[in-house]
Amino acid sequence: MKIVAGGRTTDNFAKFALAVVAILLLATLLDAALLAHALAQGSPFGGPRPGTAPVPTSGIVGWLFAKQAEFYRQFSGLIRASKADGTAAWSLMGVSFLYGIFHAAGPGHGKAVISSYLVANEETWMRGVVLSFLSALMQALVAITVVGVAAVLLHASAGTMNLAVNWIETLSYALIILVGLRLLWVKGRAFIAAARDLGRPTGALGAAVTPAEAVHDHHDHAHDHDHDHAHCDHDHHAHAATPGHDAHDGHDHGHSHHDHDHDDASAWGHAHAPEPEELAGPGGWGRGLSAIVAVGLRPCSGAILVLVFALAQGLFWVGAASTFVMGLGTFITVATIATIAVSARSWASRMASSRSGYGILAMRGIEAGAALVIIGFGALLLGGYMVNERMVGF
Amino acid sequence: MNKHFVRLILAASGFLAACVSASAHPHVWVTMQGELVYASDGSITGVRYNWTFDDMFSAFAVQGLDAKKPGEFSREELGPLAKENVNSLKDFGYFTFAKANGKKVELKEPIDYYLDYNIKDTVLTLHFTVPFKTPLKTKELNLEIYDPEYFVDFSFKDVKEPITLAGAPAACKLTVAKPQELSVQPGQQLGEAFFNQLSAGDNWGAQFANKVSVKCP
Repeated sequence: MKIVAGGRTTDNFAKFALAVVAILLLATLLDAALLAHALAQGSPFGGPRPGTAPVPTSGIVGWLFAKQAEFYRQFSGLIRASKADGTAAWSLMGVSFLYGIFHAAGPGHGKAVISSYLVANEETWMRGVVLSFLSALMQALVAITVVGVAAVLLHASAGTMNLAVNWIETLSYALIILVGLRLLWVKGRAFIAAARDLGRPTGALGAAVTPAEAVHDHHDHAHDHDHDHAHCDHDHHAHAATPGHDAHDGHDHGHSHHDHDHDDASAWGHAHAPEPEELAGPGGWGRGLSAIVAVGLRPCSGAILVLVFALAQGLFWVGAASTFVMGLGTFITVATIATIAVSARSWASRMASSRSGYGILAMRGIEAGAALVIIGFGALLLGGYMVNERMVGF
Repeated sequence: MNKHFVRLILAASGFLAACVSASAHPHVWVTMQGELVYASDGSITGVRYNWTFDDMFSAFAVQGLDAKKPGEFSREELGPLAKENVNSLKDFGYFTFAKANGKKVELKEPIDYYLDYNIKDTVLTLHFTVPFKTPLKTKELNLEIYDPEYFVDFSFKDVKEPITLAGAPAACKLTVAKPQELSVQPGQQLGEAFFNQLSAGDNWGAQFANKVSVKCP
């Protein structure tokens, strides 16, 4: 593999490298505190124990932290008050919403997995938002189902619920690993192919361009088609075709993707992310579903405590509504982070498209790296569960 | 424009990293009372605690427990739960960090433990005694009670003497440092100044430690 960096592009290269580093940082840092969770012990009194991370470092962070605790402390009083007073139920919804927003900024809630998934799959902003929404919705549904089935229907004890949550957690972590492995299989091979292509003379590549593809008139694009992994380059291609276009423009992406899907009978096609237009289609949901399920399976500890308390007060429905509203808040935070991840990726791929060869390799590297991040988180979480199971009380 | 984007990404990464660390907030609140237990020879044998949990956690803990009278739990009915609690607490060192003359004090498994349920407040109280591995005759004993992960918030009960000395030599002096101002009380609003005063470190929860110190001549 040969990397030729021309003097003209030194500045671009520096920016590009920065972008790559920033994206990887983003993907890893988002849920770095999950490590704390992975290493965390079980609950001392058998309650659900969420990932906890130490060290707020500034006033703003402290403020976020204080808000969470403040909102959380209001739950029990507001639920009690809801019994007699309808307005308290509305206050509870407001507090639940804010709590969801603030709390989702913490570990868990699949930010790292969702973001890495979006980065690895060159997903559009729209799909990022939809994925965030569905995973938050699923998280709420799982919490309500666990408490609803275990506590309401089966009259199960806290210990049984802990056990159920532990099993769900394990399943969720295993799924995260599977999603990561599947991505790595696809993106890792694309990376290797891109690395191999770097060694080949570029002149020969143009000859392989078919007239239909030549309409796009982009060098990288042709290059990739020739080597049968063109799907990975749709982003660059789209940007090259519409210079200066906003990176968020899912529509544009979609169109160029479509073109490719038609003339590109790629062996990698199955790994291709579905387009926004395809989302509603029968096959489209299936692809993102694995990520949604993997992330959404693990319920939030706070939600479970709220639900059980509401149940004890004879107001299960109030707890359920609060859980959904919390999920809405969670969605807003996760979608914001997903937006940053997608934007960063689009921007990096624009940078990459201006640097044929190395740029493509770097994009493939970022994608494979994001897949590795997903696997890493899954593995750590799964490992952490082993510790959890041993420690759980009740 | 690109430069701005780099800055944006970096700023966002930093912000998110910061958010991640802001995640820890307590899910369980414990209001405690305690006493240091002395043997007749003046040595300290252990700590006796009463820990009252908040209503949300209490509701979770008693969920699904059978009671003769619904909503009322006898000490016997709560027996298995109390056993589980003290067993689980072992893994956390009973959240008790004891030092005698600067040296760590080893703890044994709890004795005399039971739970009772306050029907009016719907809260559980765990009563238990943590014996020291060997009874201590020491000039200075320091106890810190906290959860390093700050999943559990500990605070002394709002009474004149939340910690007492049971059978201590008359000359011994007890000081109790309440971290009340460091605890997030129901409805309490914490200003930024409060958090700025907190130092960053691995042992985040230690900043919420309840400190007990006994000095004997």
